[in-house]
Amino acid sequence: MTGALRLAALLVSAVVVFLLPAQVPALYGAFTVIAILAVAAYGLDIVLSDLGEVSLAHTVFFAAGAYATGLLATRAGAGSWATLGAALLAGVAIALLLGLITLRLREFVFSLVTYAATVVAAALAHNWNFLGGSDGVSGIPTFDLSIGPLALTARNDAELWPFAFALLLVTLYAVRQFRRSRPGAMAMMVHLNPRLATMSGIDVRRVRLGIFVLSALFSAAAGWLYAYQRAYVGPDLFETYFLVLMLTAVVIIGKRLLLGPLLGTALIIGQERFLSFGGDVNAVILGGALIVALAFLPGGLASAFTGLAARVSTKKDPREDVVDA
Amino acid sequence: MTSRRQLLRATAVGAFALAAPARLRAADPIKVGALFPLSGGAAPQGQHVTQAIEIAAAMVNEAGGVLGRPVQIIKRDDESTPAVGVSRANELIAEGVAVIIEGWNSPVTLATQTVIARAGVLDITAVSKADPILTGGGNPLAVRLNSSNAQDGRVIAEHLKATGAKRIAFLTQNDAYGNGAQASIEAQLKAVDHVWEKVGEEKFPFAQADFRVALTNIRGVNADAVVAINANEGSGLPALIRQARQMRLRGEFVTAVGTVAPSVISVAGEAANGIIGADIYFPNVEPFASNPVNQQFVKRAEEGIKYTPDKFMALGAAALQVWAAAANELKTLEREAIARRIRGGSFKGTVFGDVSFAADGQMQSSHHLFSVKDGKIEVRT
Repeated sequence: MTGALRLAALLVSAVVVFLLPAQVPALYGAFTVIAILAVAAYGLDIVLSDLGEVSLAHTVFFAAGAYATGLLATRAGAGSWATLGAALLAGVAIALLLGLITLRLREFVFSLVTYAATVVAAALAHNWNFLGGSDGVSGIPTFDLSIGPLALTARNDAELWPFAFALLLVTLYAVRQFRRSRPGAMAMMVHLNPRLATMSGIDVRRVRLGIFVLSALFSAAAGWLYAYQRAYVGPDLFETYFLVLMLTAVVIIGKRLLLGPLLGTALIIGQERFLSFGGDVNAVILGGALIVALAFLPGGLASAFTGLAARVSTKKDPREDVVDA
Repeated sequence: MTSRRQLLRATAVGAFALAAPARLRAADPIKVGALFPLSGGAAPQGQHVTQAIEIAAAMVNEAGGVLGRPVQIIKRDDESTPAVGVSRANELIAEGVAVIIEGWNSPVTLATQTVIARAGVLDITAVSKADPILTGGGNPLAVRLNSSNAQDGRVIAEHLKATGAKRIAFLTQNDAYGNGAQASIEAQLKAVDHVWEKVGEEKFPFAQADFRVALTNIRGVNADAVVAINANEGSGLPALIRQARQMRLRGEFVTAVGTVAPSVISVAGEAANGIIGADIYFPNVEPFASNPVNQQFVKRAEEGIKYTPDKFMALGAAALQVWAAAANELKTLEREAIARRIRGGSFKGTVFGDVSFAADGQMQSSHHLFSVKDGKIEVRT
């Protein structure tokens, strides 16, 4: 497929996806949540796929964005532009701190420290009255990005969907451009061959820190919009549900695939919304999907399909030869 | 040529056909959403509350329904998770429910109440206790049936004053519920002019089941009364009661309102004998035992689901009864009108008897102290 054709196909797909909930209004809620949580998962995807580290702290960045939004909106009456800035700032600040702490750490120890950070953050959220304690922060006002006479508000999922879709498109574009950029190439080199990266004059620690902070921006932005979607933020944002969802979304389709986290999130949320078997069974399905993806499909569903397609075409070839003969 | 009789018959058939949609509409059920945990750790309680709402709906339907239409309960599982609760609330809203009765877990209620309010659907919280449900601004027309921390604190404070407990120790769950409940008891002790001294205070997380270190510290302070605030009715509170007995803790053992259910006594065994508690509903004790509406409710539950209703079930049933009474009286399903009728209003003939609500939407409960004797709850008159 030529580049122009591919672009046209992508544009048509995007338009169809955007307009689909208008035909089936029951999809607005699911599509909005898929878009938001997919953006959160892209933050983790960059660290996992490009830096090669399994971060278990991305729920903290997600929650930081949501809490910054909830606190500023309810206590200072801040608008959605201000809360967006605060959410990104909160995510970056925490990522910077955690990134500096984990600068020398690799693989298992890195994951363990990031998990510990999540536990500490959850305990703080549960017990610190400033953050609302275990009651969280409720009564977040409606989403409002209006600029002058241009009204950009959203009171429900149907009205929030265009904003969630726009955030998703911006994220997809940013991730695509990042992977084609020099920092993206440096991240891959740091991931695949840190010694070569050092010999090539790349400051490995600086690259790692930069990627970590960049990834937090996506998860924090998702937290910002999620706070408005739910109108409430609480310590449940630190629960393993969000962490397992993000991890599964990233690995189930295949790492470093631009649409991977989006399709993974859509699969998970779609099952929960439209094929739900109750909380316990859903948790088993989500956890089971993560286990299967990691243990049996290291390349994700995409590589499994590619392998299957290759086998089919290998089996098909001899027959074609016979026919040709 | 068409005869006059044929013309009349045709007119009658036509009129009947035209009237049919309206008659069908009148018979269409009014959908009521029930949003509680139906899976996970709180599933048994959530299912019981939902069943209680269905029993109350059957009672309302037999009495003529709401606006002449039957009530249909549509239940959804919030999975004790705010994110899921919001999704399920949106599903109920899309189903066109007239009211959503919800709330086992406070964070889930806090997450769903804004979504429900913004959709213009009436929201009645049955069980969740967090104060911000009424004061947080998420739903300006909030209504809650379970007692508030302030109401609960009063009855415990009055008991401590009546027994002359001067040296009081607290064993408190370290979260918004536990700290709020303790603060309320302390405030009410001051409000009732009781002179007392806090001689001990031990905090623990919700999931804790080993209290021996904390109990050793409390035993050392020789308290007249030990107030235990532990909402972990499945494992934490029974373990705390058993360990307190094993360590021969001195002083009266007073539990927070609504935490000692029959299941807690069953797990704690003999150790539960002698503990003091308080609650707002007992199925077979006066004034509930002689209330015909409660009698019918208890009978239907015992026959239908083989379970004697507890307070949580009574709260669910009463939520539906209050809504139905308000809708029938006002002859409307409109959210604001019904909410304003309930807030600050009174209702007769619920499983709680005659009930009234404060202007902020909080149902006014009547607390009853009880002690546990021979494994049974004995309500004090």
